[in-house]
Amino acid sequence: MLSFSGVVKRYAQPEGEVTVLAGVDLAIAAGEAVALLGESGSGKSTLLHLAAGLDTPDAGIIQVGGQTLAAMDDRALAALRRGTVSLVFQQFHLIGTLSVADNIRFQAALCGRLDAAFEAELIDRLGLATQLDKYPHQLSGGQQQRVAIARALLHRPALVLADEPTGNLDERSSGAVMALFRDLVKAAGSALLMVTHSRDMADYLDRRLWLREGRLHHEPG
Amino acid sequence: MNRAEPERLGGVIRALLSHYWRHPWQAVFLLAGLVAGVALWSAVQIINSHARASYAEADFVLGAQASHWIRSRSGAGVAQADYIALRRAGFRQVFPVVQARVSTADNAPLAIIATDLLALPTGMAGEGGDAFDNASLDWLAFVQPPYQAWVPAAVASELGIAEGEQLRLHDGRRLPPAVIAAREQQGRQIFMDVGAALSLLGRDRFTALAVGPVLPDEVARLAAALPADLMLDANQQRLDLTQLTASLHTQLTAMSLLSFAVGLFIVFNAVRFSLWYRRPTLRTLRLVGVSVRALALAIVAETLVWSVLGSAFGLLAGWGISHALLPSVSASLQNLYGAVVGADLLLDPVTIAIAWGMTLVGLAFALAWPLLLQLRGPVLPGGSASAGVMAEARARRVLLVGAGALALAAAGVYWQMGTVIEGFVLLGLVLFAAAWALPQALASAHRLLGRALAGAPLVQRWIVSDGWAQLPALRTAMMALLLALTANLGVETLVGSFRTALAGWLDQRIGADMYVNSAQLDTRRFVADPGNADWLATAHARTGVTIRWQGRPTKVYGLDTATPDTRALPLAQAEPDALARWSGGDRRILANEQAHYLGGLRLGQTVTLPTDGGATDYTVAGFFHDYGNPYFQFYLPREEVARRWRDVHSTGLALWLKPGVSGETAETALVAAGAQPGEWFAQGDIKRLSMKIFDRTFAMTAAMNTLTLLVAGAALLTALLAILHERLPEFAQWRALGVTRRELLRVIAVPLALFVTLTWLAAIPLGALLSWLLIHELNVMSFGWSMPMLWSPQPALKLGLLSAGIVVLVLIIVLSQLTRKLPQAMAQLGSAQ
Repeated sequence: MLSFSGVVKRYAQPEGEVTVLAGVDLAIAAGEAVALLGESGSGKSTLLHLAAGLDTPDAGIIQVGGQTLAAMDDRALAALRRGTVSLVFQQFHLIGTLSVADNIRFQAALCGRLDAAFEAELIDRLGLATQLDKYPHQLSGGQQQRVAIARALLHRPALVLADEPTGNLDERSSGAVMALFRDLVKAAGSALLMVTHSRDMADYLDRRLWLREGRLHHEPG
Repeated sequence: MNRAEPERLGGVIRALLSHYWRHPWQAVFLLAGLVAGVALWSAVQIINSHARASYAEADFVLGAQASHWIRSRSGAGVAQADYIALRRAGFRQVFPVVQARVSTADNAPLAIIATDLLALPTGMAGEGGDAFDNASLDWLAFVQPPYQAWVPAAVASELGIAEGEQLRLHDGRRLPPAVIAAREQQGRQIFMDVGAALSLLGRDRFTALAVGPVLPDEVARLAAALPADLMLDANQQRLDLTQLTASLHTQLTAMSLLSFAVGLFIVFNAVRFSLWYRRPTLRTLRLVGVSVRALALAIVAETLVWSVLGSAFGLLAGWGISHALLPSVSASLQNLYGAVVGADLLLDPVTIAIAWGMTLVGLAFALAWPLLLQLRGPVLPGGSASAGVMAEARARRVLLVGAGALALAAAGVYWQMGTVIEGFVLLGLVLFAAAWALPQALASAHRLLGRALAGAPLVQRWIVSDGWAQLPALRTAMMALLLALTANLGVETLVGSFRTALAGWLDQRIGADMYVNSAQLDTRRFVADPGNADWLATAHARTGVTIRWQGRPTKVYGLDTATPDTRALPLAQAEPDALARWSGGDRRILANEQAHYLGGLRLGQTVTLPTDGGATDYTVAGFFHDYGNPYFQFYLPREEVARRWRDVHSTGLALWLKPGVSGETAETALVAAGAQPGEWFAQGDIKRLSMKIFDRTFAMTAAMNTLTLLVAGAALLTALLAILHERLPEFAQWRALGVTRRELLRVIAVPLALFVTLTWLAAIPLGALLSWLLIHELNVMSFGWSMPMLWSPQPALKLGLLSAGIVVLVLIIVLSQLTRKLPQAMAQLGSAQ
């Protein structure tokens, strides 16, 4: 579903150029859930951004669903993010002017893949049935994150990219939301690459990878 | 305050100001708002104070400050021999004046004024200031052929006259070689030696002799020394220009204050946003123990810095704008009042001090509310997004209540209104009441639209619903836009109505084929000459006398009651059979509207005029329109004027030609009778000239309107850039969800277009109300002119297109910023925001 081949990413810093990713190779199969761990500044989020086509590598090839991102223009990348890839961030970025129900349907409406049955299932399992007519500012942080998860999954994307999706929640809520998130990703049939620095959260997923000194490792260092 | 406190305060100020290093655009917009507001206001102040200074100085060239005039009883001008005799008799205060109006080959009107510089009374020349710089004056070149024509720099640039060029007139004659200079007191008149003028105009007589300051016993001696044909008149036209032009200056000041208010909206926006962005800094400072007092002091210090910078740059810009506006203001003053305003502008300390004071007050006003909210709140933000939404709704309600209070105050002022200043206070109250009510009106309209779209596809609803996120930032800009659009519409309707009324009035009043104003022509003999009967259908020789009425110079005209123009004289108000009773010698008099609205005359009222036989009473039978005239004026039958006043002079001759007769026939006859080319105008030329003068007079209004609209456009740009800055992470997130760039642009553009459209729609009735007040209240109170209000959709449509153009321009700027910043924001998604 997602593959990185010899991907290199460098950033210019005042003290000189810093190589964040130094030839990363990665392959995630359809329906597979992978956790990406690493220390702050190790390049986890950069890798996620590259996977979503939000940033471009300095070298190497990235493919999503067999399509090479480097060959895609802005419109094709937008289409990819709209239908194939979903992103979930620590900040929920719900649309404040739309109701909870509309926020949930937003991305599915963009790509024309509304699924009433799956929507009902998501709403039910995420406990949002009584919140549908409310607006984001009327919800708690945990509730907002659930809405963001529902929005990311309703159109059953082939790949979900998540960056610390429970980072804004307390420990107890984090566990519950994470378990639910994993189950729903499975229910949607999506592959998942989740960035976290919490080993506990990583334990919920099929496989764990560590990013260290610009390279991926299968074991913690 | 202990020793550590100033240091601590310095640190707080540094921390607060460091924000602008990271966000230089906010500094630019804050400064732009201040500069825009101060610039227009100060430009008008510079012009106003300069104009007043010009009035205060004696304009001896124009003769307005001459103590007396010596004129010929017959209207034929003063013979040179009579002038020389007076000088030889020791009357050194007497100097000759030649005045004429000619037109260029392109039909542009030119005023020519000439005197003998060597004959000017020393006191006048000296006090006249720097009108003539003796050191730089080439006396010989000025007084001997080919002479010199001193052309004001503004006129030279308008007509494209180069130094040394001899401008060709309509009849082929040429002016002396041009000397171009910006001279005080010359205004827009072409100045030359009296010999040059006589030669150019083909005359041998002066228009009049002016008399400088004289003692009362000298007046008697001078009167006794005059030959029988000459008469000595106290200068009835000596004007108190300051009083006469007060209305125009008040109007200019009001417009500049409106611009200042619109500029203040930008400042309000910029300050609000800068405080909003600095919330974390303010919070951190309070958390580390900086007191609210120290923070308030730091913000006061920042305000002082901005006020100094804003007023300094604003005054500089105002200086530039005043130079650009001065020609049209000068044109207005000269066309309306004959007031001459020089070209050299000076910035006086009072204007500088007031500009700084106003900037400071404006900044304090713009800072007060957000600062209060910022500092009165808790140290840590308990504020949820929900609190923000409620605060925004509350702010709209507060503004609405304020608008209601302003509307009530406006009603109160309308009820009591009696002066021009009160009239402008009313306009200000109406405009601000509407502006304050606007956010709630926009919110209500937006809510209704949202409901109407309830069944629409989600993406469409999303795009429209984003207006709720934009409204808080756009609210102030929309208020500024409403003010600018309303002012533009109101003034455009006023100018359009005035132009139509003037054109119609000219069509009715300028009914004759030719108009002659010649000092040389004996009008009575010319009209009676049987040789002219072949081509002349009718003639109207008007006479007149200048008196003082209600302390102001007033002209009493003697009209021929049988001529077509008198028989069809259009009256604004009249008693039944007014013209018939007036013609019938029924002691009826016609007065201009100025005498009605400014002089307080009523229909049927008795007016007492000073005649040579003593005070004489007349009953007011009607009022006639008299656009463009700042003076009171009366019409009486010609015989009545001749009966009551001795020193009646000719005030022009109107000629109706027989069908099929060409203008050349009449011109040949006029030349044969002594008139000079340039002393007559064809009907069409007069109308064209009048409309040209009108357009030039109102060019300044159009310029100020455009500038106000530009200021509003800048407010819009500030607001949108603030939205962009604040919501960039959100936009990046949307892009990450697969929203295309086009969809994103639609989200920004559609609510903006919606709000601008609603604001434009609100401005249409408001503009109509404003123009109604301007036409039926302010104009009448200021100038005494009434006219029907003509509402046309054209200005509204034009402004709609202009607003759309501004929106498109602003969107292009925003889009370019978005394209530049969005990739970086997308790459930073998920990082601490």
